[in-house]
Amino acid sequence: MFKPLTQAVQLGYRTAFNLFEWPMAGAQRLVGISRVAWLFLLPNLLIFGLFTFLPIILNFFYATTGSDAILLSQRPYVGAENFSSLLSCTDYLDPNSCRRDVFWRAVYNTGWFVVLQVGFMIAFSLVTALILNRDIPLKGFFRGVFFYPVLLSPVVVALIWKWILQRYGIFNAGLEDLGLAPVDWLIDAHWAFFWIIFVSIWAHMGFYTLILLAGLQAIPSDVYEAAEMDGASRFRVFSKITMPLLMPTMVVVVVLSLIRAVQAFDEIFVLTGGGPGSATTLILQYIYETGFASRPQLFGLAAAASILMAVVLLVLTLLQLRATRSQAEG
Amino acid sequence: MAVVELQKLVKDYAGFRAIHGVDLRIDDGEFCVFVGPSGCGKSTLLRMIAGLEEISDGELRIDGRRVNEERAAERGLAMVFQSYALYPHMTVRENLAFGLENIKTPKDEIRRRVDEAARMLQIGDYMERRPKQLSGGQRQRVAIGRAVVREPKVFLFDEPLSNLDAELRVVMRGEISQLHRRLGNTMIYVTHDQVEAMTMADKIVVLKLGTIQQVGSPLDLYNRPANQFVAGFIGSPRMNFFEATVAEQARGGIVATDEGGRRVEAAVSPERVEPGAPVTLGVRPEHLEIGSERGHPVTVETIEQLGGESYLYCRDSNGRPITVHKSGQTRIRAGEEAKVFLPAEAIHVFREDGSALERLRIGEEA
Ligand SMILES: Nc1ncnc2c1ncn2[C@@H]1O[C@H](COP(=O)(O)OP(=O)(O)OP(=O)(O)O)[C@@H](O)[C@H]1O
Ligand SMILES: [Mg+2]
Repeated sequence: MFKPLTQAVQLGYRTAFNLFEWPMAGAQRLVGISRVAWLFLLPNLLIFGLFTFLPIILNFFYATTGSDAILLSQRPYVGAENFSSLLSCTDYLDPNSCRRDVFWRAVYNTGWFVVLQVGFMIAFSLVTALILNRDIPLKGFFRGVFFYPVLLSPVVVALIWKWILQRYGIFNAGLEDLGLAPVDWLIDAHWAFFWIIFVSIWAHMGFYTLILLAGLQAIPSDVYEAAEMDGASRFRVFSKITMPLLMPTMVVVVVLSLIRAVQAFDEIFVLTGGGPGSATTLILQYIYETGFASRPQLFGLAAAASILMAVVLLVLTLLQLRATRSQAEG
Repeated sequence: MAVVELQKLVKDYAGFRAIHGVDLRIDDGEFCVFVGPSGCGKSTLLRMIAGLEEISDGELRIDGRRVNEERAAERGLAMVFQSYALYPHMTVRENLAFGLENIKTPKDEIRRRVDEAARMLQIGDYMERRPKQLSGGQRQRVAIGRAVVREPKVFLFDEPLSNLDAELRVVMRGEISQLHRRLGNTMIYVTHDQVEAMTMADKIVVLKLGTIQQVGSPLDLYNRPANQFVAGFIGSPRMNFFEATVAEQARGGIVATDEGGRRVEAAVSPERVEPGAPVTLGVRPEHLEIGSERGHPVTVETIEQLGGESYLYCRDSNGRPITVHKSGQTRIRAGEEAKVFLPAEAIHVFREDGSALERLRIGEEA
């Protein structure tokens, strides 16, 4: 009863193995056993090369050539001119004195955005994580609530908030109901800058809260019990036990969110379009607009700006690698 | 310095009673050991005393003062955890100093006490290291040091040695006993290792399922176990048990018949049994006499000869395992038949409810 079945299975296996075996054996004979590994890596290398490595090289060529031609063969070599054009200012503190004033405005906007968004977001995430780490009712529900926006597409996030904040949005409708004057939330430069920070904190803090929460839960509870026996006040437990033990996680969170803030684009682009004027234009949007949205398309300038930005990100990434490594080593 | 009193102490976890009204008095300077099988509530009881676990009902008094509502630190206790629970980011010195800094002790006073504890526990050479850079035994010393510097009224230990290897455990056992002699504090020590309990304790508390089975000195528990559970728990290897029926009450004891119909005399008080009552006889392995002409026939299955002493693992005709501990060496070989005699004055008799009949003659005390 079993025997024919087993035999059939065996035959199936043997056929399948043979089928795989001859191309394998052929490949081994062709390139040598030790080089077969490269054969397996080839598809991945091709894709990586074509879509990641090649564009990086191309970007470098665009950055060192001029004109609005898109074909490299038609673009004249200009050396570092794109870079010097971006970097020429009479006073670096005043974007208006720069040749590329919008670039510098975007740089300053990005700087402020990074500092404020990361600073406040981490403060809020930490407080939220500390609260969610305690024995509060509906803990699972609240953890879900804070994490939920992370799952939304940035465009959806921006559209939701635009719908709330625009001139005839529900926020202003609410204000009017209360007898208050409506505010041009996205048209006033200061308010618009406030709201892009607010919305991107709202959209991303759940992610960092979750990481910090995991960091808090990794602190062994017996350490807290020892501190309790040692008579530590709540403040001392926080400052002398929780914070130092959370520090490695914190460093990772800071660096990750810095990288992300430097790269901020989509939700802001949808929410304010970089306006009013260039009040909420960040560096990535500048690159996009210079290279693709403006006429003539200044590919060279955009490529040069993206290289400058890549340098900043590279530094941050190295920091992150160091932080994660030292955390892994404890 | 400190008397600890437990009055009808109860611990309820959601829908589960872990401690069932425990009454206990631990005298000043006493080394008291809680012992019992896993899950019997030793840690829970200790943590209730420490203030880490809320007391559901009953009263806890330290030096006569009710402390149920006081925070852990206010009770004047220090605890050594099974997992050491050292602060991983602090050096040994900072670990020791942390508790004193919390109560704003002057700097030079902290220094003095920390150095003194370090000397006492021989951890002075690695004061600037972190816990991760220490061995298990060194960590345990630091954990004890952290308790010592606080100069507590009472020391609490929750299985402090169970993460150490056997050799180190013996060394640390000695050191904790020495610490107790030196400081003279009241100490409460939790373990499930009855050897630790026997060697360290002034007073042993045997727990089972959240109730106290017996309280007494180590030899009290060994010689006069109150019930079959304590008899089986204290002593290693375990006491041998035989089923029997009381045949007659006699002067100086009772006579019982075992399953094979053999008569066994036992020097226990005949007051609380009637002829015909089923009882359990218990004899410790070291009190069985093997190789004589009289007694139970058994088959010797395995022999462990340690030179100075021998363990014989036997089985009787009913298939019941019987362990015999003989000092010195033995000529008996595995597989041989032998007879095992139960001396009347060494027999413990337990009634059907497990409680022990009072022993009338106790050989060890002679
Ligand atoms: N937080 C808790 N919630 C519910 N039940 C608990 C809790 N902590 C302990 N228990 C139960 O209380 C009982 C006693 O636990 P305890 O930790 O005191 O045992 P123990 O004697 O220390 O055992 P061990 O030797 O394994 O450490 C156990 O049945 C355990 O399951
Ligand atoms: Mg325990």
